[in-house]
Amino acid sequence: MEINGIFIDDTFAEAFPMKATRIIITAMNLKWAHKAANALRGFASSVIACGCEADIERELLPSETPDGRPGISLMIFAMSTKDLEKQVPTRVGQSVMTTATTSCYAGILDGKQIAMGKSLRFFGDGYQISKVINGRRFWRIPVMHGEFICEDTTGVTNAIGGGNFLVLAKTARHALTACEKAVDEINKIPGVITAFPGGMVGSGSKVGSKYNFLPASTNEVYCPTLKGQVNSELSEEIGSVLEIVIDGLDEESINEAMRVGIKAVCSFGPKKGICRISAGNYGGELGPYHFHLRKILK
Amino acid sequence: MNPLIFTLKIQPEFILDVAQLTPDNLAGLNKTEIKSLKLPYGKNMVPLDTLFSVTGTDSNNIQINRSCEKLVAVGRYMTHGTINVNGNVGKILGSYLHGGTITINGNAGSWVGNNMSGGRIDINGNAGDHVGAGKPGDTFGMTDGIIKITGSAGDRVGDRMRRGMIIIYGKAGDYCGSRMHAGTIIVLDKAGKNSGAGMRRGTIILAKKPSHIAATFKSNGNLKIQFLRLLFTQLSNMGNEFSIFKEFGPEAHRLSGDLARNGKGEILILHTLNLRN
Repeated sequence: MEINGIFIDDTFAEAFPMKATRIIITAMNLKWAHKAANALRGFASSVIACGCEADIERELLPSETPDGRPGISLMIFAMSTKDLEKQVPTRVGQSVMTTATTSCYAGILDGKQIAMGKSLRFFGDGYQISKVINGRRFWRIPVMHGEFICEDTTGVTNAIGGGNFLVLAKTARHALTACEKAVDEINKIPGVITAFPGGMVGSGSKVGSKYNFLPASTNEVYCPTLKGQVNSELSEEIGSVLEIVIDGLDEESINEAMRVGIKAVCSFGPKKGICRISAGNYGGELGPYHFHLRKILK
Repeated sequence: MNPLIFTLKIQPEFILDVAQLTPDNLAGLNKTEIKSLKLPYGKNMVPLDTLFSVTGTDSNNIQINRSCEKLVAVGRYMTHGTINVNGNVGKILGSYLHGGTITINGNAGSWVGNNMSGGRIDINGNAGDHVGAGKPGDTFGMTDGIIKITGSAGDRVGDRMRRGMIIIYGKAGDYCGSRMHAGTIIVLDKAGKNSGAGMRRGTIILAKKPSHIAATFKSNGNLKIQFLRLLFTQLSNMGNEFSIFKEFGPEAHRLSGDLARNGKGEILILHTLNLRN
């Protein structure tokens, strides 16, 4: 299969079940909502070592937020509800509450609930106030900038992590340019995030390692510098590979995100250095969700 | 389905307890059984059809027409469904309400929503004293739900209330929010003397500066209260009847107290020109 002269490998992206929550951060203006969101999603690129994967889902209009201020919808993915229970209050407490003028609300109201304001309220040292509005409990925590409002809990939902595709290009510049466009297109799809810096991974990994203490290690068959040493997947002209990893709330949204992302990359064509599209396939060791590239692009 | 309509045939001479006329009590009863229900009327029990004509079938949606102040305990212990009353009602409207909606197109007596724990009461008129309060001897008044009064309310609104919200578009009497444990009271016109007397926690929001605030409330100054922005946005999203709250902004004069009880409650007096933008 080819799109615009770019060969699509007959393979699939292998993804795995995760748990996710969505939170809404508001602030006096979008600039400060972004500052809080960026602080929260810092060091949240992969569950391999960060504990969670988090990214901005989209910007929200004042009419879409609980308090009528501009906001950011942000999603956090983890391997279990227990991991989310640990990550959410920590990250909201250290990144959102500390950002001037912010408030933090649940973006998923139903399903299993995990603590957010319920844990952070103790920062109020006895001066915190609980308010129930329309069945939702909010905590008013007095802070130096005024009042930090945080919803008591946020809902957790089943999700999928690790949807991906690989962009094989002549040079890093070619791969990067195409991937930037792909990430821009993927960011328009609701219910998905690309948690790695800039939405793409420069050091995609395989499952396991020769070292017992490592759960993941470099994916040597896609490393250009190892072409002569290993059973490489790369042909002579390929000099750089980038991976776009997508977490989503369901298979449909990941399908759609992969489809628009790959099409965006393919729009550059071979003349702009794009050689092939492949996907992270780990032989079924990683997870039960298989996103077949050719099926998605039909 | 047509609502189940009870229309008063006569204007009652004595107190008429209509607590039985709720969706919970009337579910599964046919019209004959409903007509033969006996209601406390003064010192006697009288068959329902001597006082009401009954039409319609949907017991989940009850309507009472030609109501008057003698009808008491409307919607008592109700858990679901709706009751619409055309005319005034007497005391203890919606007491111990757990769920559902009661709408009164007229005035209500005292003890509206006393000890209610959920649901909503809309009064398109005035209400008497002790709205959302607890009965004498009870620790708490209302523990959840919303009471909306488009007119004015009497004294001791929300006395000992534990949670929930009371919204009064008109005036409130003296001792508004007295002995509150928590919850929110909003008064859009003047409130009487001693608002918040003895309150432990909770929020009283006054759109107009009251003529009197007890000396046991300490001023925290004029502030932008983030919670007000959230509250007013949430209220204005609840329907057209709350659209007035779109106009209100977060600026208020905050007073905390009641210090006589070491309370951490608050009275928020909204700024006169406190528009959102």
